[in-house]
Amino acid sequence: MTELKHYFAPTSLDQAVECLKDGDVTILAGGTDLTPQSQAGRIKFKHTLMNIRHIPQLSGITLEGDEIRIGALTTITEIMEHPLVKQHLPALVEACDHFASDQIRNAGTIGGNICNASPAGDTLIPLLVLDARVELASMPEDKLYRHSMPLSTFFVGPGKTRKSLCELVTCVRIPVPGAGHVSRFYKHGTRPALDISTISIGVAGNYRDGVLSQVRVAFGAVAPTPLRAELTEQALEGRRLDAAAIENAAAIARDEVNPIDDVRASAWYRKEMIHNMTKRVLENVSA
Amino acid sequence: MTVAEKKHRIIEPDSLIGKRIAKMDAPEKASGRTRYIHDINLSGQLHGKILRSARIHALIKSIDTSAAKALPGVHIVITGADIPDQRPIGVAKDHFPLKVGRVRSERDEIAAVAAESEEIAEAALKLIKVEYEDLPVIGKPEDAIEPDAILIHPEPHGADGTHLHLKQGTSIAHKGKPDNIAMRFDYAHGDVAQGEAESDVVLEDTFKLHYVTHCCMGVSGMIAEFDASGNVLMYSNTQVPFLHKREFAEYLNIDPARIRIIQPPIGGGFGSKLDIYPFEVICLYLARAAKRPVKMLFTREEEFLASPTRQPVLLTLRSGCRKDGTLTFRQVHTLHDNGAYTSWGATTPFVMMQTFSSLYRVPHCDYHTAAVYTNNPYAGSFRGYGNLQATFAIEQHMDMLAQSIGMDPLEFRMKNAQDAGEVTGQGMSFKSCGFKECIRTAAQRSDFSHKFGENQANQKAPGTIKRGIGMASMLHVGGGAKIYPSDGCGTILKMDDFANVTLITGASEIGQGSETVLSQLVCEELGLPISAVTVVNNDTAITPWDVGVHASRTTFIAGNSAIGAAKKAKAKILAVAGKKFEIAEDYLDLRGGFVIKADSGEAVIELSKLLRNLHFQDKAELVMTTFYYEPPSVHQDKGFKGDVSAAYAWGTQVVEVEVDTETGNVKLVKVTGAHDVGRVLNRLGIEGQIEGGIVMGQGYAFTEDLMIENGHMKNPNFRDYKLVTAPEIPEMDVAFIESMDGEGPQGAKGVGEAPAICMAAAAANAIANATGIRLFELPFTPEKVYRALHGQTPKLYWKPWKAE
Ligand SMILES: Cc1cc2nc3c(=O)[nH]c(=O)nc-3n(C[C@H](O)[C@H](O)[C@H](O)COP(=O)(O)OP(=O)(O)OC[C@H]3O[C@@H](n4cnc5c(N)ncnc54)[C@H](O)[C@@H]3O)c2cc1C
Repeated sequence: MTELKHYFAPTSLDQAVECLKDGDVTILAGGTDLTPQSQAGRIKFKHTLMNIRHIPQLSGITLEGDEIRIGALTTITEIMEHPLVKQHLPALVEACDHFASDQIRNAGTIGGNICNASPAGDTLIPLLVLDARVELASMPEDKLYRHSMPLSTFFVGPGKTRKSLCELVTCVRIPVPGAGHVSRFYKHGTRPALDISTISIGVAGNYRDGVLSQVRVAFGAVAPTPLRAELTEQALEGRRLDAAAIENAAAIARDEVNPIDDVRASAWYRKEMIHNMTKRVLENVSA
Repeated sequence: MTVAEKKHRIIEPDSLIGKRIAKMDAPEKASGRTRYIHDINLSGQLHGKILRSARIHALIKSIDTSAAKALPGVHIVITGADIPDQRPIGVAKDHFPLKVGRVRSERDEIAAVAAESEEIAEAALKLIKVEYEDLPVIGKPEDAIEPDAILIHPEPHGADGTHLHLKQGTSIAHKGKPDNIAMRFDYAHGDVAQGEAESDVVLEDTFKLHYVTHCCMGVSGMIAEFDASGNVLMYSNTQVPFLHKREFAEYLNIDPARIRIIQPPIGGGFGSKLDIYPFEVICLYLARAAKRPVKMLFTREEEFLASPTRQPVLLTLRSGCRKDGTLTFRQVHTLHDNGAYTSWGATTPFVMMQTFSSLYRVPHCDYHTAAVYTNNPYAGSFRGYGNLQATFAIEQHMDMLAQSIGMDPLEFRMKNAQDAGEVTGQGMSFKSCGFKECIRTAAQRSDFSHKFGENQANQKAPGTIKRGIGMASMLHVGGGAKIYPSDGCGTILKMDDFANVTLITGASEIGQGSETVLSQLVCEELGLPISAVTVVNNDTAITPWDVGVHASRTTFIAGNSAIGAAKKAKAKILAVAGKKFEIAEDYLDLRGGFVIKADSGEAVIELSKLLRNLHFQDKAELVMTTFYYEPPSVHQDKGFKGDVSAAYAWGTQVVEVEVDTETGNVKLVKVTGAHDVGRVLNRLGIEGQIEGGIVMGQGYAFTEDLMIENGHMKNPNFRDYKLVTAPEIPEMDVAFIESMDGEGPQGAKGVGEAPAICMAAAAANAIANATGIRLFELPFTPEKVYRALHGQTPKLYWKPWKAE
């Protein structure tokens, strides 16, 4: 038996944020995290269950100026198949391609992946290296209020974000990468499909004449939050991607992460994989 | 058709044997129409739920069910104290369905509720208050045999330390056990000391086999109902309806004749439904008390927590050979983690010893097992029944021995493999034996020797991806297993006046395709199409007796039984036809729905017409026959010797892998199998059986791992318990060796368990071929492989030990 008393399915963003005002609301998107978590007793439903799937403002992938906007309700499948994403954001496509199974991809949303804030959330790593911003909506007074923040500052701990109980994630915004931009995603697990990352790696930057600049590196499942690896980035910034630089960056990466032992792998193994696979990803960039 | 044409109609010979025939239940299953136990609801039915222990090992100080009883919608709440006539259950009768005074594992059943809905029953469980006093936990079998180990089954004491006033009995549940040894097995033939003295090479290694579980798609469940006269009707997923009928009667203290078991289509068995588990007896208690039907269904988490596992084993194998490649001896000690209670897992040594004593020629063999109590989940039977574990060790040593004497592993195996006509040290007599042909075929089709050499040469070469090839073979019972005084099965066959057959068999269908194969065998005798047969196989009030679905026995035993009944029907039909048409019955046969002349194939009369004639006359007769088949196998003697099966199945599997040395990921590229199945009856069915078995073996080898830490299960869900998924399934090339067993139905042997057995052993050999590194512990997860490749795996050693 749950505390759940009301079910609400708003058809506009205004209705949704108004409903969120009292803060006693559980937001339901695809439900692929929410359902297993509530079944296992790890989360308790709040007073109201709000299904946000009927809010048109939350879906779609569009080009807005020099940004690609991905609505919070966009499913993993939709992202993976969208021409804009395919053209500009190969690392995100790669992450979606290694995400769960078809059934889950058809239901699970990017907003859910972000708000669930798992250190192993697969879209988070490419979003971090692509400098994504997350946009939030609320209704502090009587008017819809939106603000955004860099995704890199959004995560606080496992399942914890800087989003308040009265806020809804509306979309992520990703700057359209310029010419010479490269991005890569690598996921390591026991199985090629339907697996939670043991570790994951995202690398992005401008690659010109063998030199990487504006480097972004992020790691999944090796810290309480998805991790932007600044030391590793510094080690690579402006350097020629030769064998020595790659080995050096991989070694720094190994020390920069702080994983734990769990059912999926030991901390030691995760560090080894960060080292070996960072090397492999960088070699792939330089190849 | 004119009269003249009809007279000369020739029916061409035809056979269903070896054809690809879709399973009879496939259309229903594929279209989602099959009604499993989940889909059955009886009017007035209540829903049962079980409260399990919140502790691993503890005394129960008190149980308070008052709040649960007061919840609206709750009908019955019971604890052990409410059932004064509880009888101990299990293979060693070492526990009560509802635990009394003490819990010994995480799954232990403390109380149960029957309520109007599942939700109310769940809510009621949360209202039950239990006070515990924790006891030290034994999480490793090695600790259970330490001299000062706490006893898992001491003489029962109440919460206050006084003796519980349990009904007197001699079982472990009543009397306790003065040590933690649940069961032991000791086997020998020859003289291992002599064998060792004759050896040029002796190896000793320890192997560790982990916990896995069946993961049936259909979770466990049952519906129980008592009628007004006290008769019991159970809808149950059991694999063993007849033996269980008797056992349930004992637990309910009633006459077995009052129990009727109906088996709805079963969503997977694989051995998991071979024993009676607490939930089934508890469901009966609830139904008895509530005077209403009670339905109990596991959640998936419960299915992980409270269904049996494969037997985890610690095994030290010592074996030797001469320089010329002759095996000299095997000495094996194992420690089986029995878990808190004893189910069939403790008896897997029956099967393991067959592999130790008789897979290849073994002149001298000595084998000891102790299955010991711990606070872990308890192990049951699981496809292969110990043989995966035994073969894992034996077939790795075969490679290692070959390597030590510098002999090709294929040649070494061929030199020690048996031929038809041989009798092993354990008394198994190989009447048909395709062992060598299995090895040869699998090796040739996979280009084993060439690849083996090439990969070995490549081990030290640069590059992060290493290819490997490895082989393993297996021996398993293929003609039943006489572990009870009878290993038989009964058939009732009746024909209607349209020449349709109702085949009433004791053999249960658990998804293995037995309905289809049995129908084929009957059709073959009666010359009918498969569509003419209806199979009835799921109601103890109707079907004749059978031992149960286990030991790969159904095709062989139930098949011979069905053939027996069909032959009797045929004899009767031909006698009638012979008389009617004044043709000697020896000259007649059945084919294509007609009685025909055997030599020319000329139709004599349509079978349906003949049957109608038989029915519609003043001395009407029905064609209805019965047959009971008992295989010519023997019960083993006290030293476990004897020809326990009517036939033996063989198989060889060659596994090819790619090892990523930077991640430890092992990709299973290809499996080439050659299986001596006696004869292929249903090609589609047997391919499915082999492919499914390979994938199950693959899961055992690479991904599946039920993680138990100090009695606590860490991954009771499909997210963290990793079954093999579609993209990992390798290319498969399966060949069938048809050794035409003389006793088998149409020459066939049982093959249900065989295909899962070799995979882990062959995979270990393939990884060694790729990398030069040997893995002694399952499963081969990326981390385990990576650790081994980087010298981070300490050498496993368990000092051989046997119970005094
Ligand atoms: C079998 C299986 C496999 C999986 N495999 C993967 C995998 O490979 N990689 C991976 O990263 N994840 C995986 N997941 C997790 C899950 O599918 C993803 O995290 C998914 O993106 C969640 O999206 P959803 O729409 O289903 O979220 P929901 O379950 O609906 O919501 C998740 C959380 O976010 C909140 N929320 C959702 N949308 C919003 C919003 N717009 N604003 C504010 N809060 C919101 C909800 O309240 C909830 O707390 C798997 C899950 C399952 C069941």
